[in-house]
Amino acid sequence: MQDDQILSVGIDLGTSTTQLILSRLTVKNFAAAFSVPRINISKKEVIFQSDIIFTPLASQNEIDADAITKFVADQYRAAGINKSDIQMGAVIITGETARKENASAVTQALSGYAGDFVVATAGPDLESIIAGKGAGTNVTATKRRRNVVNMDIGGGTSNLGLFSDEDILDTACFDIGGRLIKITPSTKEITYISPKVKQLIEKLNLSIHEGMTITTQQLQPIIDVLVNVLENSIGVGEKSPYFDLFITNHALHPEHKIDGVTFSGGVADCLNEELPADVLRYGDIGLLLGYGVRHSRIFKDKTIYPSVETIRATVVGAGSHTTDVTGSTIAYTDGILPLRNLPILKITKSDENLAEDELAQTVEEKINWYKVQNELTNVALAFTGKHSPSFSDIQRYAAGIVKGAQVLIDKHEPLIIMVHEDMAKALGHSLFAKLPEHYPFVCIDSVKVENGDYIDLGEPVAGGEVLPVIVKTLVFG
Amino acid sequence: MDEKDLKSMIENILADMTDDKKAAATTTTTDTRSAATPATNDSTVSGDVLDDITKIDLKKQFLQDDPHDREGYLKIKSFTPARLGMGRVGTRYKTASVLRFRADHAAAQDAVFSDVDPQLPKDMGFFETQTTCTSKDEFLTRPDYGRKFSDETVAAIKKNVTPNPKIQMVVGDGLSSAAIEANVKEIIPAIQQGLKVYGLGFETKDVIFVKYARVGAEDQIGEVTGADVVCMLVGERPGLVTAKSMSAYIAYKPTIGMPEANRTVVSNIHDGGMPAVEAGAYIAELLDKMVRLKKSGIDLKAAENAGA
Repeated sequence: MQDDQILSVGIDLGTSTTQLILSRLTVKNFAAAFSVPRINISKKEVIFQSDIIFTPLASQNEIDADAITKFVADQYRAAGINKSDIQMGAVIITGETARKENASAVTQALSGYAGDFVVATAGPDLESIIAGKGAGTNVTATKRRRNVVNMDIGGGTSNLGLFSDEDILDTACFDIGGRLIKITPSTKEITYISPKVKQLIEKLNLSIHEGMTITTQQLQPIIDVLVNVLENSIGVGEKSPYFDLFITNHALHPEHKIDGVTFSGGVADCLNEELPADVLRYGDIGLLLGYGVRHSRIFKDKTIYPSVETIRATVVGAGSHTTDVTGSTIAYTDGILPLRNLPILKITKSDENLAEDELAQTVEEKINWYKVQNELTNVALAFTGKHSPSFSDIQRYAAGIVKGAQVLIDKHEPLIIMVHEDMAKALGHSLFAKLPEHYPFVCIDSVKVENGDYIDLGEPVAGGEVLPVIVKTLVFG
Repeated sequence: MDEKDLKSMIENILADMTDDKKAAATTTTTDTRSAATPATNDSTVSGDVLDDITKIDLKKQFLQDDPHDREGYLKIKSFTPARLGMGRVGTRYKTASVLRFRADHAAAQDAVFSDVDPQLPKDMGFFETQTTCTSKDEFLTRPDYGRKFSDETVAAIKKNVTPNPKIQMVVGDGLSSAAIEANVKEIIPAIQQGLKVYGLGFETKDVIFVKYARVGAEDQIGEVTGADVVCMLVGERPGLVTAKSMSAYIAYKPTIGMPEANRTVVSNIHDGGMPAVEAGAYIAELLDKMVRLKKSGIDLKAAENAGA
C-alpha cells in the first residue's frame, strides 16, 4: 500500500472570531512489507490558514449566515481547492455563538456547504477537548507524564480540558472571555455587556451599563472576579462567591490532580507581564483579563507549559485532531459509507459475556432505548470485545448481535458494530454468514467509545484497509 | 544447600518482590535469613505450592530497586516484552529473573522437542502425513528431509485428498508443536468462515497434517495436489517471549525449488500478537486475493501497489 492522504477542514465559529484551516493527514502503513497492515495517521499538516475574521452577526442574537458562507467560499478559492476534495472535517460552533437563535440552522447548512462529509458539532465539552488537542496539551501531558489542563480563554467562554497522557480526564466550561464587555476604543463607550456580567455588576453594586464611557480602573473589580473564578476553576485561590454564576455547564471534578497548565484562545496571546499602553485597543477586556491571569496564582502555583497554538487552537483541533482511523483488519460492505452522527450504544462488559440468547435480549432492550417517538433510529453497537477470542466467542457475539438487532434488520438499517479489541474482521465474517444475503454492515475495531458518544465514518482510505472515523465525545461520567 | 533451604529462599525472594514497600528492601540479608527459618517450618506443614512464575506479566514486572521514575520506566516497559528493569545483585541477575529466564527457555525447548498431541489432527479430521524424517532428531538435523515426502505418502495424498482445489490447507508442526496446539482449532474455522464471504472454501478432511514439517513441504504438496493456492500453517521457532507463535506461508502454485520470494507470510499469530481468529479472517481475504490475481509473494505486492 502507498501512503494515502486525507484532506480535512476545520471551521470554528467562535464568540468573537471565525476561522478556517485545511489540513492534510497522511495515512501510513507502519508494518513491514509482508506483515499484516498496521495503518495509522503518521502526519498532520496544516496546509492553509484563513484570515481570522470577526464572527459576522446579523443582529446581537443572530449569526449572519450569508456572510459566513461567503467567507468559506472565499477561503476555499484562496486555498485553490474544491469542496468535493474535502474528505473529513468539522464545523464547530463555540462559545456564545452557539447560543444564537439560528446557530444550529447555520452549522447544519454550513456543514453541507463546506463539504459533503464535514460534520457539524457543538457543545462545550467537545470544544474543550478539541481546543486542548489543538493546543498540543495532550502531547505535553504525554511527554511530561503530568496531568495538564488547557485553558482556552476565548471571547465568550473559557474551555478547560484536562489531559493525562493522551486521555482526556475531564472538561469544564465557564462564561468568561475577552469580549464579555465591548468598548469602542476611540470613545471608551461600552457597547455590550454579557448577561452574566450584568448580574455580577448588580451584585457588586457597580454603576456600569451599556452606553456609558468607562475607565480601566472602573473595570478592575469585574476583572478581579473573572480572574478569581479562573483560578478557582483549576482549584487555585480562595473560592469566589461568583464561581457558580460563571459555570456554563459544569466545573472540573475536584478529585483530579492538576500539575500543569497550557493556555490557548485569543486571551492566551494577551498574557502580558506589563499592561500595554492602550489596553482597550481591541475594543474589549481581553488585554485586561490576560494581564490579570498572568499575575494570578495560576502562574505562581502551577507549571505553565507552552502551547502549540493559541488563538487557532480550536480551529486546528477541529481540522487536524478530530479524525482518526480504525484498526487495519476490519470488514464492511461496499456502498454504505460515509455514515454520520450515529449514536453509540455500548454493551457493558458483563453483558458481553452472556450466552447467545441473553446477549441478544440485552442488545434488543438497549436498541429500544433509542426509540424516539416510537421511531427506531440507527445506532452503532459498541463492544469492548475479548483479547485473543476463541472462534466460539466470535460466533456467540455474532449470533447475539444478529438476533438482538433483528428490529434494525427488519427496517433494513445498516448494521454498525464497533469493538475495541482486535477482532473485527473475524466478527465481520461471522456477521456476514448470519445476516441475510447482501445485507449492508460495517464492523470495525481499535476505536474506543462510550455511551453518549456519536460517531462519523468516512469513506475507506489506504486501499480500503481502514476507515477514517470521528468520535464526538459529548458526555463525561 | 538442600532442596528445602532452596525452596524457602525462593519463597522469600518472591515475597520480597511482591511486597512493594521499601521496608522489605531495606531489611538486611541477615534479617531475611533469620526470618526464613520459621517460614521453612510453616511451609512444610501447609504444603502450599509456589505461584507459577511464568504467569507474571513481564511488561509489568519491575525489579529495579529505588527507581528514579517508576511510572516512567513502566511506561517504557509497556511497549516491549524485553526484560528491562530487572535490577541486579552485584554483577548478576536477580534470582527471580534467572528462574523466569530458565522457565521460558524450558518452554521453548519443550515446544521444539515434543510432538503435537496425536489426538489433535484426529479430532480436527485432518489427513495425516509425515515427511521423510523418521525422528525428531533427524528432523532437527536434516532440514532437507523435512521438505520431502516418500512415494508412498505422495500416493496416499493423491488417493485421499480432493485434487486440483482452489485452496489447499496444510498444517505442519515445524519448530513449535505448542503453537499448533494453541492456534489451529481457532484459526481453521475462522479461515473457512472468511472464505465463504468470497465464495471459496475447503473441507477439513482435505487439510493435510504434516509431522516433521519444514515450510518447503508445501511446495511438493502444491505439485502433488495441483492446487491453485497452498496455505501452510506452521509452528515458528520459539523464542523467550512466546513458544506459541504460528505463521501462515502462502504461495500461488508452489513448485519444488521455487524462489522464497514467491511466498507470502502472515507471522506472529499468537495471543500476544495477532489473535488466531482475526489472523484467520485476514488470511481468508489474502487467499481470495491470490486466487483472483494468480500471484503471491513479491509479485502480489507489486500487483497490489500498482493497483493502489
